[in-house]
Amino acid sequence: MKKLAIQLEHVTKEYKGKKAVDDLSLNVESGTVVALLGPNGAGKTTTISMILGLQLPTSGKVKLLGEDPRDIKVRNRIGAMLQDVSVIDNLKVAETINLFRNYYSNPLSLEQLLHISGLETEMNKMAISLSGGQQRRLGFALAVAGDPEIIFLDEPTVGMDITSRQLFWETIRTMAGRGRTVVLTTHYLDEADNVADRIVVINNGKLVADGTPSEIKAGTTGRVISFTAGASVTTETLQAVPGVANVEWSGRRVKLASSDTDRLIVALIEKNIDMCDIEIKSGGLEDAFQALVQNTNELKGAV
Amino acid sequence: MNTKLNATIAQCKAELLRTIRNKRFVFFSVVMPVAFFFLFTSTMDSGAKINGTDWATYYLMSMTVYGVVGAGLTSFAQRISRERSQGWIRMLKITPLPPGSYILSKVVAQGLINLAIVLLMFIIGGFGKGIHLSSTIWIESGLWIWIGGFSFMALGTLLGSIKNADAVQVLALMVYMGLSILGGLWFPSASMSSTMQTIAEFTPTYQLGHGAWNLVGGTAIDWNGALILAAYVIVFMLLSTYIMKKQEAI
Repeated sequence: MKKLAIQLEHVTKEYKGKKAVDDLSLNVESGTVVALLGPNGAGKTTTISMILGLQLPTSGKVKLLGEDPRDIKVRNRIGAMLQDVSVIDNLKVAETINLFRNYYSNPLSLEQLLHISGLETEMNKMAISLSGGQQRRLGFALAVAGDPEIIFLDEPTVGMDITSRQLFWETIRTMAGRGRTVVLTTHYLDEADNVADRIVVINNGKLVADGTPSEIKAGTTGRVISFTAGASVTTETLQAVPGVANVEWSGRRVKLASSDTDRLIVALIEKNIDMCDIEIKSGGLEDAFQALVQNTNELKGAV
Repeated sequence: MNTKLNATIAQCKAELLRTIRNKRFVFFSVVMPVAFFFLFTSTMDSGAKINGTDWATYYLMSMTVYGVVGAGLTSFAQRISRERSQGWIRMLKITPLPPGSYILSKVVAQGLINLAIVLLMFIIGGFGKGIHLSSTIWIESGLWIWIGGFSFMALGTLLGSIKNADAVQVLALMVYMGLSILGGLWFPSASMSSTMQTIAEFTPTYQLGHGAWNLVGGTAIDWNGALILAAYVIVFMLLSTYIMKKQEAI
């Protein structure tokens, strides 16, 4: 059995009688990349704050690496990029990184940290003079300064340009490859889709879905078959095929969504539909996510 | 254990660097007291007697106190406020840096800064203006200002408990100027009306200055003043602890 990096047992956090996190239970094994998704105010940041020991749950238990998150020994093994943290004034980039390196017992080298944050040429600049995206990258360097076993990333790529983002996710993948646990929240669902091996969706402080990105996507919108249709194909002929719900055209390209694309493709072939350049893909995580959030909101309204 | 010590030393160094690079600090705690010292000891008869000592010596003490008070109020208060409002404290809380190390490094760094100000002013007074005092009195008055200066760190912490760093900047400057003028650091309180003098005696700036003026004037250490300063420290610390606790509860 793999070791548990994070354990949440029936965790609830109330603010003035309002439940920000509602009876959340979650185990994360070491070495996984978990994306925490949810609309604004769903309780993602509160959950991360509790895992980090910055806030105490109203009830329930939180364990990080099997211990109390506030334990200094635990803190030596974790790192985090939090939201709304500015850089330290009157310190240069290299000085800030070195300051943080001194906090940990086995820090990465300054060179490594400058490299993975892509700030080599900025090392002697004042941290405060960096652009927004560069400041976020500095924040990342600080988060991994201690070569942490678990890295928390709360909306890490906000304010980063495309190049910064690519470099950033590349580094995260390398770290995950080295067996590091990564917990992230992001608004960019394609990022979560690309990097995470597990997605946890939270809405109204409750867990509404938990699985691999393809499970999450398949569980809601299913997959999509697309192909270039021959001249004989019309919407009517397609709708006559069992399992076809709706047909989307763009030029001669057809898109069919289905919860069981395996059976649908067989049916299409049996009906001799004139197709070429066939592609079968998962529906976007974006759609899956929207559907999940909407569903739980409707459920809540119904109760 | 070693990591803890390294972390504290690194934190201390960072505090020192940040203070020295702060233009506001350099202006209010170094440039201004030095300039005022030369200005007001040159335009006035520096041999004139005041409080049992000559004017230049008296004013050297005033300006040294002024510099130390400025270090606590202008740069220190704002640094605390920034760190709290811009998420650094939250960030530090998840690092293995023990909270005690954080506070200790602040106190040590500020202590070193204050000591440097005292030394700088005394060297300028001694060599630049030819002020002669016995080494005992140099040391006693220097230590008095240095140790008493910590009470303004406490006041700085209190001002820094306000989360809006810009407001802290303005407020700290007002408190700094107000207390300095009222406490008789710019002009001796003896030149004020008697009501103003009574008010002046309640300010911590006056108390810190008064102890130094007494020492250079040949009077013994002013334990009464030390008590008043200690009382101020307790009040400032209690208030800032209360405010910070209250902010955290939200």
